[in-house]
Amino acid sequence: MSDLSQLLAERHVLVCVGPGGVGKTTTAAALAVRAADEGRRVIVLTIDPARRLAQSLGLDGLDNTPKRIPLEGERRQKPPGELWGMMLDMKSTFDDMILDMTSPDRAEKIFANPFYQHISSTLAGTQEYMAMEKLWELHEEGRWELIVLDTPPTRSALDFLDAPKKVTDFLEGRFLRLLLWPYLQAGKTYMKAVSFGAKAFLKVATKITGSELLEDVANFFLAFEGMYDTFKERSKRVYDLLAARRTAFVVVSAPQDASLREARYFVQRLGSEKMPLGGVVMNRTHDVASVAGLEDPRALAERARAAGDGKLLAPALELYGSWREVSIREDAAVAASLGDLTDVPVWRVPDLADDVHDMASLRQVGEALLGPLPRTRAKGESA
Amino acid sequence: MIDPLMPASLTASRLAIVSGKGGVGKTTVSAALALAAGRAGKRVLLVEVEQRQAIAPLFGERLIGYEERRLAPNVTAISVEPDEALVEYLYLFYGIGRVGKVLRGTKAVDFATNVAPGLRDILLIGKVKEAERRRQEGRYVYDLIVLDAPPTGRLPRFLDAPRAVTELVSSGPIRQQAQGVLDMVTDPKRCRVVLVTLPEDMPVRETVDAADALAKMGVAVGPIVINSVLPEVFSPSKLKVLAKDAATPLAADAEQAGIRLTEDAVDGLARVTSMHARKTLSQRGAIAELDRETSIPSLHLPYIFSPRMGREEIDRLSTELEAQGMVG
Repeated sequence: MSDLSQLLAERHVLVCVGPGGVGKTTTAAALAVRAADEGRRVIVLTIDPARRLAQSLGLDGLDNTPKRIPLEGERRQKPPGELWGMMLDMKSTFDDMILDMTSPDRAEKIFANPFYQHISSTLAGTQEYMAMEKLWELHEEGRWELIVLDTPPTRSALDFLDAPKKVTDFLEGRFLRLLLWPYLQAGKTYMKAVSFGAKAFLKVATKITGSELLEDVANFFLAFEGMYDTFKERSKRVYDLLAARRTAFVVVSAPQDASLREARYFVQRLGSEKMPLGGVVMNRTHDVASVAGLEDPRALAERARAAGDGKLLAPALELYGSWREVSIREDAAVAASLGDLTDVPVWRVPDLADDVHDMASLRQVGEALLGPLPRTRAKGESA
Repeated sequence: MIDPLMPASLTASRLAIVSGKGGVGKTTVSAALALAAGRAGKRVLLVEVEQRQAIAPLFGERLIGYEERRLAPNVTAISVEPDEALVEYLYLFYGIGRVGKVLRGTKAVDFATNVAPGLRDILLIGKVKEAERRRQEGRYVYDLIVLDAPPTGRLPRFLDAPRAVTELVSSGPIRQQAQGVLDMVTDPKRCRVVLVTLPEDMPVRETVDAADALAKMGVAVGPIVINSVLPEVFSPSKLKVLAKDAATPLAADAEQAGIRLTEDAVDGLARVTSMHARKTLSQRGAIAELDRETSIPSLHLPYIFSPRMGREEIDRLSTELEAQGMVG
C-alpha cells in the first residue's frame, strides 16, 4: 500500500486533494506524466492550473475536451504511454449533465433561467461537484487506464466529499420549496407546514431580493421537478467510484503547520468515509542531513570570519545551520501532525528551488517521488 | 514618519484588504500588519471571512468567533460568518430579531446566501463596512481594519458582488447596502488591496493579473508585499557558479581559513549552498519580473526559517514592517 509506484501502475483513479497553495495541480500533473512515461494511457483533469504550466502542457484553452499532450523527451518507453489532459469547465459540464438528464426543451428552459445561470457558476460546491461529474464521464468513456484528478482548493477538507450532497440537497430544495410556496402554487398542505419564521422570512426575502428573482428561483425548481432522484443516483455512483479499490486518494501537503493541520484533517476524513487513501505527498521539503564535522556551523562560521572569509564559507556555514534547523523542525512538524497515523505513507518532494512549469521539471518531481524512471518495463509489454 | 495618505504605506487607507495566491502567507502578513499598526497606536480590527480559523493559532488562541475579541494591545479580531452576518443584518435593517433567531441553523441562510448573486459576499463585506463606519464619541472606533481576504482567484468576484447586486436590484435597503459597499471599495482613501506574493514565478504572475483586474474595477492596489524573501548572502556574480558547483570553492576557502572539513562536510555544505544559490537566482528573476510588469511599489518581508508561524514569528515580521515605515 505504501508503494506509490504500485498505485501509479495499478489504480484506475488517483484523486489529489489538499489545501490551496501546496502544489496540488503540479503533483497531479507530475504523477500523470510519470505514469505515461511508464507506459500507461493517462489523463489528468486539472481545475485551475497556473497559466505557464497549462501553456507548457498545451492546456490553456478551456474547452472542456481532452487534449493529447506530446510526451517529448528522449527517455520514452516502448510501447509508449499516452498523456492526455483537460481543464474543467464548470459551466459546460453542468450544462452537459442537464442535457444528459432531461429532454432538450426542458434543458433549454433551465438554461434560460437567470437563476440557473447564477448557480451553475457560483453555487458553493459546484466546482467540486462538476469535477466529480467529469471524472465519471472520463471513466465511462473507457479510453484511459488512469485518470488523475486535481481538485479545487477547498476551504475546508469537508467541502470536497460533501459537495455533491450539498448541491443535490440544494437542488432538491425541500426547505426552499416550503418557503417559495406561493410561487410554486402548491396546495394547502403546504400552508400548514409553513412556520411563522418561514412566512416572515419569505416576506423579508421578497423585500430584499425583489419578487422577480424569487419567481426565477421558483421556476427553476419547477423545471428540476423529478430530476432530484437522477441527481442522487449520479452522485451515488461517483461516490462509489471514489470509494472503489481501483481508486486512491493522494493528500498533497507542505511541511508547514497550517498545511499539515489541513492534511491531517483530510486523512482522517477520508478514513471515516472509508475512502481509499494512498498516502501523503509532502511537497517542498528541505531535507538537510546532519553531517559529522558540522555539528556547530555557527561557531565554524565565526572562525571563518575571523580568518577573513566572510564571502563564501562563513555565509555557507550559517545557511547550513539555518536550513538544517528548518529541516529538523519540518520533520518534527510532520511527525507531530501525521506521526500517529500509522500506515499512512508520506512521500517527500524536496524543494526544487525552481518553479515547476514544464515537462522536464514535472519529470523531476516524478523522480523525486519515485526514483529514476526504470529503463525497461518490469511489467508485460502492453499497457 | 510617513504621511498616512502616501500610497506607499500599508495603512494609507482605513481598510486594508490583504489577498494573494493560496499559500503565500496572506494571514501571516495580515496579522503582522495588525500588530505593527497596533503598536503604532492605531486601534485595529483584524477580520477573517472564510471561516478558516487561520488567525487564531498565530496568536495561540483556539477560536475566533463573531464577537470582536482582543488579541494584542490595540488589536481586536473577528471571524465574520455569513449566517451571523445575515441575522445581524436583518435585525439592523428590518428590526427583525425574532425571525433572525429562528433562521439561525436552518437552511434559510443557505437559501438566502445562495439565491441572490453575491448576497453572501455582500453580507461579509457589509459587516466590514459597518466596522469601518462605526463611530463612538465623534470618532471612528477603528483606525485600521485589516481584512484577511479570500485568495486572489476569488477576490475580484468577492469585491464585485456589490456591483452585481446594484445591477439586479434597483431599490430598497439591500441596494443601498450594496451601493455603500461599492463606494467604500472604490474609494482609495477608505480602501486598498494589499497583494501578498512570494518571490516565485507563479505567485508573481497571479499577482500581476490580480492587480490588473482590480485596477479595472476601480479598486486601489498597493503596496505589494513580497513575502518570504531569502537573504542574499552570496555575491550576485557568483550565484550561477555556486548553483552548479559549490564544493570546489568551499573546500578552497576552508583550507585558506585553516578550517578542516571532511569530504562529507564539504558535500553537505555544498548542497545547501547550491540550493540557496538556485533559490536566490529564481527569486531575483521573479522580483525583476514583478518590477517589469507593474509599477505598484513593493516591499520585502524576510523568509522566516521556521515551518511554524506563531506569535514570535508574527512579531518579527511586524517589527520589519515598522522598520520599513509601512504602518504610518
